[in-house]
Amino acid sequence: MSEVLLSLNDVTVRRGSSVVLKDLHLQLEEGQIVLLSDKNGAGKSTIIETAAGLLPLETGEVSHHSNLLIDSNGRSKRPERAFGLTLQSDGCIGSQRVEEHIHNALDISGGRIEIDPWLKRYNLAHRKHDLVAHLSGGQRRKVAMLAGILPGFVGSQPRILLLDEPAAGLDKASRAMLLEDLHKLQQRGNAILLASHHADFNTCATHMFHENKLVANESAEKATTHHEDIKTLQAKGNVSFRTSFTLNQRTLSTVANNGIAGLLTLGILLALVDSSAVDSSVIQASGLFLSAAFAAGLVGDSMISMLHEQKALDWWKAHRQGIPNSYVHALVIGSGLTALTQLGFDSELSIELILIGGLLTSATMAIVRAMELATSRLARPRAAFIRILTPILILPFALLVQWITDSNLL
Amino acid sequence: MGNRLAESILLLGFVGIGTTLMLALLKAPSVSINAFESPDAQRIFYWHVPAAWAAFIAFGILFVGSALWFFKRSNLGWRMHVAGAEAGLATGLMTIWSGMVWGSAEWGVPWDWTDVRLNTFGLLTFLALFLVLGRQSQPDGVETRDTFSTFGLFGFVLVPVTYVATRLWQIRHPGPVVGGGDSGSLNGEMAVILLIGAISFTVFIIGHVLMSMRITSLEQRLESLQEALDKV
Repeated sequence: MSEVLLSLNDVTVRRGSSVVLKDLHLQLEEGQIVLLSDKNGAGKSTIIETAAGLLPLETGEVSHHSNLLIDSNGRSKRPERAFGLTLQSDGCIGSQRVEEHIHNALDISGGRIEIDPWLKRYNLAHRKHDLVAHLSGGQRRKVAMLAGILPGFVGSQPRILLLDEPAAGLDKASRAMLLEDLHKLQQRGNAILLASHHADFNTCATHMFHENKLVANESAEKATTHHEDIKTLQAKGNVSFRTSFTLNQRTLSTVANNGIAGLLTLGILLALVDSSAVDSSVIQASGLFLSAAFAAGLVGDSMISMLHEQKALDWWKAHRQGIPNSYVHALVIGSGLTALTQLGFDSELSIELILIGGLLTSATMAIVRAMELATSRLARPRAAFIRILTPILILPFALLVQWITDSNLL
Repeated sequence: MGNRLAESILLLGFVGIGTTLMLALLKAPSVSINAFESPDAQRIFYWHVPAAWAAFIAFGILFVGSALWFFKRSNLGWRMHVAGAEAGLATGLMTIWSGMVWGSAEWGVPWDWTDVRLNTFGLLTFLALFLVLGRQSQPDGVETRDTFSTFGLFGFVLVPVTYVATRLWQIRHPGPVVGGGDSGSLNGEMAVILLIGAISFTVFIIGHVLMSMRITSLEQRLESLQEALDKV
């Protein structure tokens, strides 16, 4: 008997002011391709996102490989076997290269395969090193689609592949190739949940899910392709950290946002405060020296803005491998700003204070970032005025300054 | 008749608050000139303390409403959340404004960033401001309600912290004037005016919450009617 890979049990999901899914029951077994082909607004993307564990459940639970992924009590676990995911909104960070996004998807799934033949197959080989932001809409869709299907070729164990409109914007030839690849994935035992309007997929789907009912597709064509062995290579670890570091190095976004805010604060302090009047034994000195680092942290994590592009944040959240951040760069920038401030006020450099400055920037950034992530589910997260709550950080800053003074660190 | 109840209670609250202000300025006994830097400024307490009392009631309503929505999906809970946030913002700003007036006169500065009670209360008011502005910026829906209810639940942690702050870390803020033991005792006339103030602000909060809940209820009804029309 085939193993059940994906299971949605009595799932109810609300979006906006309406109940989109009501007591939904859906199971996918090995080698099944289930096509969601209801009309617009029927909840196809909601089913995909629910299966990926992205939406809170009113009732029921979602399981991957018989292990709980998410339930209505708020419990959420990382899937033991990573799944392939193509979101309706691509989910790629614009500042990433094509190969990086696909490699990330493969590394998350625990192994790499040679991607060049796939890029060539979909006419993306010449775009391998390009930034995703530089691609056309159709090319970006191909990258998102490849990141969703290629994990199905990694290793010998069958996986869940969740594909939301993978063929949107693809030409006829690419759609035909995708159809062929879906057959290959099916032969490997993968369970594929596919949302699409294209009639092409009616022939490959083993089942149709329509109006909450799973019906076997009598017109499904048998796969004619033969099973090919694809060599799995070693995956590279620390996907989230690697992405954070690479993006920060490439865009210098933390320097441009947090660093500039810190430098401006330092400039204002130097313009307003007479350095000869600063007595390092009084409470103001440590507060003064840490102000630029604090201001840099208050700007928040620029990575969040990048992740809001094409809903990349959802892609990272679904994989539960950590969300890219700028903490390391914040640590360096905070330390540097604290050192610069001390030098600017003709004070002796204090290693302890420099370290505290770096940690202060990172910690402040982490709190502002947590606030922003807490509102990411909203329809308009950037309009939610979350920065109104940043004064929460002033009291801890004041207490830190007090502690430094009491500890005679300066 | 029922529609006028909220307005009547709110009006009664306004009259009471005005009366409290008048009694504080004209009738309340003067305090010892040795006890305060600026004795006359102390009269602002007859406004400040009841406003803070009312703010805590509003934040309590906000918390209960947030919990009812979050755990029970109660529409009444969401209306309480909205009303609590709006009332908390109004009374929180009254408290902060009156406190800053007194701080300027007594301490020489309107705000002290190291005083725990000032800051935790300020944060509660900022939270209410965030909840009011944030809600207005979003379409109504389960995502909006879940997110803001979560902030309402977490924010309530600040209420007990604010209450005990002057007992645990008294820096500049005076200790409790009611329920604070011998050091917080009031003479009879002072207590009467403070009681009138507390009752007036409580009536104001009740009126404000009832009116706000009615407006939210009407907004919800309007939205459901609009959705029904969308389907025609």
